[in-house]
Amino acid sequence: MEPIQEYEDENSLELPSEPMHLHMGPSHPAMHGTIRMVLELDGEIIRKVDVQPGYLHRGFEKSCERGTWSQVYPYTDRLNYCSPMLNNVGFSLAVEKLIGIEVPERCQIYRVILGELARVTDHLTCAGAMAMELGAFTPFLWIIKVRDWIWDILEIETGARMTHSFGRIGGMAKPPTEKLKELVRNVLPEIDKVLGEVNVTLLRNRIFMDRLQGVGVLSKEDALSLGVTGPMLRATGVDYDVRKATPYSGYETYDFEVPIGHVGDTYDRFMVRLEEVNQSCRILGQAIERLPDSGPINVDDPRVILPPKDEVYTTIEGTIAHFKLVMEGVKPPKGAIYSYTEGGNGELGFYIVSDGSGTPYRVRCRPPCFINLQSAGPMLVGDQVADIVPVFGSVNMIGGECDR
Amino acid sequence: MPTFKLDGREVPFEPGDTIMKAAWRQGIEIPHYCWHPGLSIAANCRMCLVEIKAERPMLMPTLKWDESKQDYVPSDKPKLTPSCQASAVPGQEVFSQSPEAKNAQAHVQEFLLLNHPVDCPICDQAGECKLQDYWQTSQGTLKRKHTEPVHKPKAVRFGPTIVYDGERCIMCTRCIRVCDEVVGDHVLDMRERGNKNEITVSPGRELNHKYTLMTEHVCPVGALTSRDFRFKARVWFLRSAKSVCTGCSTGCNDHMDFDPRKNQIFRIRPRDNAEVNKFWMCDDGMLTYHRVHENRVTQGIIRNGQAKNVTRAEALGAAAAALGKVSGANLAVVLSAQHSNEDNQALVRFAKEVLGSERFHIALLGGWEGDNILRHTDNNPNCAGALAAAGGKASSMPDLLKDVASGAVQGVLALGWASTEDAATLAPLRALKAMVSLSSNVGALTEVATTVVPVASFAEMEGSFVNAKGMAQRFERVIDAPEGVKPAWQTLADLAKAMGKPLSHAQPTHAPALQGGAVEEARS
Amino acid sequence: MSKKVLDRLVGHFHERILETESFRGDDEARVAPADWVAVARFLRDDAECAMNQFIDITAVDYPEREQDAKPQPRFDVLLIVRSLVKKHRIRLKTRVGEGEELDTLFGVWSGANWTEREVYDMFGVRFRGHPDLRRILLYEEFVGHPLRKDYPINKTQPLVAYRDVPAAKLAPFGDDEGNPFGRIDWLARMSGRNLQVSPAIAVQQGQRPALSSASEDLAPPPPTAAAPTAPAAKD
Repeated sequence: MEPIQEYEDENSLELPSEPMHLHMGPSHPAMHGTIRMVLELDGEIIRKVDVQPGYLHRGFEKSCERGTWSQVYPYTDRLNYCSPMLNNVGFSLAVEKLIGIEVPERCQIYRVILGELARVTDHLTCAGAMAMELGAFTPFLWIIKVRDWIWDILEIETGARMTHSFGRIGGMAKPPTEKLKELVRNVLPEIDKVLGEVNVTLLRNRIFMDRLQGVGVLSKEDALSLGVTGPMLRATGVDYDVRKATPYSGYETYDFEVPIGHVGDTYDRFMVRLEEVNQSCRILGQAIERLPDSGPINVDDPRVILPPKDEVYTTIEGTIAHFKLVMEGVKPPKGAIYSYTEGGNGELGFYIVSDGSGTPYRVRCRPPCFINLQSAGPMLVGDQVADIVPVFGSVNMIGGECDR
Repeated sequence: MPTFKLDGREVPFEPGDTIMKAAWRQGIEIPHYCWHPGLSIAANCRMCLVEIKAERPMLMPTLKWDESKQDYVPSDKPKLTPSCQASAVPGQEVFSQSPEAKNAQAHVQEFLLLNHPVDCPICDQAGECKLQDYWQTSQGTLKRKHTEPVHKPKAVRFGPTIVYDGERCIMCTRCIRVCDEVVGDHVLDMRERGNKNEITVSPGRELNHKYTLMTEHVCPVGALTSRDFRFKARVWFLRSAKSVCTGCSTGCNDHMDFDPRKNQIFRIRPRDNAEVNKFWMCDDGMLTYHRVHENRVTQGIIRNGQAKNVTRAEALGAAAAALGKVSGANLAVVLSAQHSNEDNQALVRFAKEVLGSERFHIALLGGWEGDNILRHTDNNPNCAGALAAAGGKASSMPDLLKDVASGAVQGVLALGWASTEDAATLAPLRALKAMVSLSSNVGALTEVATTVVPVASFAEMEGSFVNAKGMAQRFERVIDAPEGVKPAWQTLADLAKAMGKPLSHAQPTHAPALQGGAVEEARS
Repeated sequence: MSKKVLDRLVGHFHERILETESFRGDDEARVAPADWVAVARFLRDDAECAMNQFIDITAVDYPEREQDAKPQPRFDVLLIVRSLVKKHRIRLKTRVGEGEELDTLFGVWSGANWTEREVYDMFGVRFRGHPDLRRILLYEEFVGHPLRKDYPINKTQPLVAYRDVPAAKLAPFGDDEGNPFGRIDWLARMSGRNLQVSPAIAVQQGQRPALSSASEDLAPPPPTAAAPTAPAAKD
């Protein structure tokens, strides 16, 4: 074959030097449905990028200001819909902090179990989708199989696969089922097995590695200044995990580690997520051993927790309690707090303001992936168009949470 | 002003005040059922028990649970005092939230709910029920009694307006006291005792005086319900606007409760105003909201041999043409004592500037009996205001009929539907060259009119009335007018435009911009 | 823990820290808009504060503050930052009125870029010196700022026609069929109509004391509204 160099030597073909504008998304398979990128290209090289979110904006924060505090739960399910349980727990903890109550230990352990299951599905979805977008369809199917096993458990526990609405202010909707421990115990080794297969398939694949390594590098300083949190921040080498930094729900008592990366590239982000799945499994293994079989799941406060249904139907006290909580809602004291937990993508914060009534005055959700997505622009400049797919995939932009 | 300390807060009081009343004046609520600021003190519900710090406290022996001994041990506790009955003393310290006081509240509340039926889902009081509020703030536990509750009569007809439910009743006697002290008619009383206690109507009587709905208004629970409001709406869906009763010249202040989703008014509640109606309203006044929804004129009507419904614009055109045919000297203008100052003043300006007429008459509504409690013999909310709008010179409707008979009046422009005279008496007006009525409802004046232009009712606009004492009182807009219908002052501005002589000030002098929603009073 | 930061701030800025508050473990300091960037920069650069991790910027609307006896600007703009080394965090707050501009924090933490855009988008607070102050979640043609209290939740927006598609073919937006429960009618409240719900619910919403007192209705008439002409006594 003739060397391609010859053409350039003759200087007969000159590539156009005008930058090219390319609109990518929102209807693009790699844009996860809801992001538009306006790119300025110099050949294959990205010179400028304008990331435009907002296509899935549904007015989450405005909607919260119209109902009761409990009526916010279904909306939180639809924030990060890959791990709705983490949002449920995060919002519960926020309102509980505002009221000043703490749930019983059994509930805390239960929240840890459900939350970590959700975290596993969240990280796996991100990793699987990223692999699929790079052409690796088989590992994606394996991973989705694992996700479905976990969703089955969550369905048995909560009645819904994704939109659980299972959190409650001061507890959970139901106590854990009898089967929970057995189900989690059985699924953990299976997850491990599948992840091993995925690792073998992907991490020994030269093409996959080339597409990830050295692509979309984010420095530690940039990440901190941009407010990036979660696996993306840890991939840059910062060991910030809310579960370790300011433990909640008893996370300080579990034995687990926070994986960090060294370079801050797409490969590090991918690996941090996979390792966090392993760590979540470790937490799950410890939590199911601790979960008591009996005991209260909700705080004992009729101003917060709905009475049992048989009391509602047979006693006036139960009816009144139900009536007041359903019609008027929980009434946290006047004030404002910011509460934060480790969501799937990083620090999931709720800044909530109460005016003392049953209706939230303001519910601000600090969406981790909205703020993480901001780093996509700086990361992509200088890379090639084809790198958008893995880099954007590793941000794990979830439309519901990003656009709210 | 002397003060005392309530839960660490200084509360000023007037000599003679009880602790409860002084706290109420400051907007502090001590839990209570039987006490009402407008009624005598019964002190029978025991919910308002408070602890008063004394140098030599009166201690009562009691048994307390000792955790270490796992047994009850003799102890003592301070004797609590009903705060609705205890006079405020300068410098005393009162605790309504101390452990003993809260304990007492919890137990009184448990006692009151012992035999209460599971009625919240079908009870009209739910959502504004004191039993619900205080259960949550003061009790929060299940009762300890598990036997069948005592059953009492339910859905007892007390009279044409009130239904009584004995099981929900907590025997606070507010309803009895309202009848005795406000109306002076001892028609309600108690019978039996203990847990068979119930409210009953005097033998041979019905609860049928003029203030029966006040018994429902003061009832802190759902025992008394108004047949007018029963099962019509749930209170948490309602919003309230501050308004003024249109029933008579007293001008009782009220809240109009409406459902914004349906644009419909569901009830009127009295609004406290010490200078007008204190805490009360009469039955007829509380039912005046029906006028806003019944027998409304929502379209224009032209009677040319037979009645025909037309649009507002067509009716305005017909009215302008008819009024243009008659010279100003022969035109009479009928003001309405049912309409606001704004409407009447706009009509007077219209008459002087556009029609050139100086013949003013006032149409009045009659038919209700007055009394010396609240009900005024003048059944119009704004007679004084309408008269003032005409500059104090306005004659009556019989005078108008005389002028029509003599031929001095050949055209009439009338505001409002209300008149003491019926349609038959007003029949001579039919034959006039112009008989234009601006009306919100169907009435005698609209029936004899050849052209009817629809206007908004008082509940669909902001404005003010002047009551018999000469107090100007503002009212807020409650609901939206039917589509296309505008207040009379606006309609008159449109009519002036249709006649080619736009009014100099289209806006009423007291533009309906309410400042802070407060009712203002201007004494003349 | 981060009470130290508040002390450090007060120790350095003295009366320029207008107020500090600690509630349920959250520490908050309020500064004047003019000190916004200076205090933020101090938080980042001071060795004892070392707030190098940006967390969030958001805002809250309090329209009723404008009608207080001492009128206050209606918007609270909040900054939440954290120190990676010291592991403490603080909330910095300032008050901005309608039409006022606040200096951007983009130069201090680059994460302020999108969050400030969101505050502008949702509240209409403008940031002076922001490199790219466009709407972020909503589109350019959107009318109003939806997280303001006086933006009704069921408000519909004008249709922005698609290109090449006749506008008549677009389905009209219907009114939101929401349940009005628990919502304060902000428009009415701010226009002074102050609609009240039934008394029990009003108490919970903090609209009025538990019992309406006569004195509430006997407030002196506002000076602007003129009394009607004195009515003559009726004979």
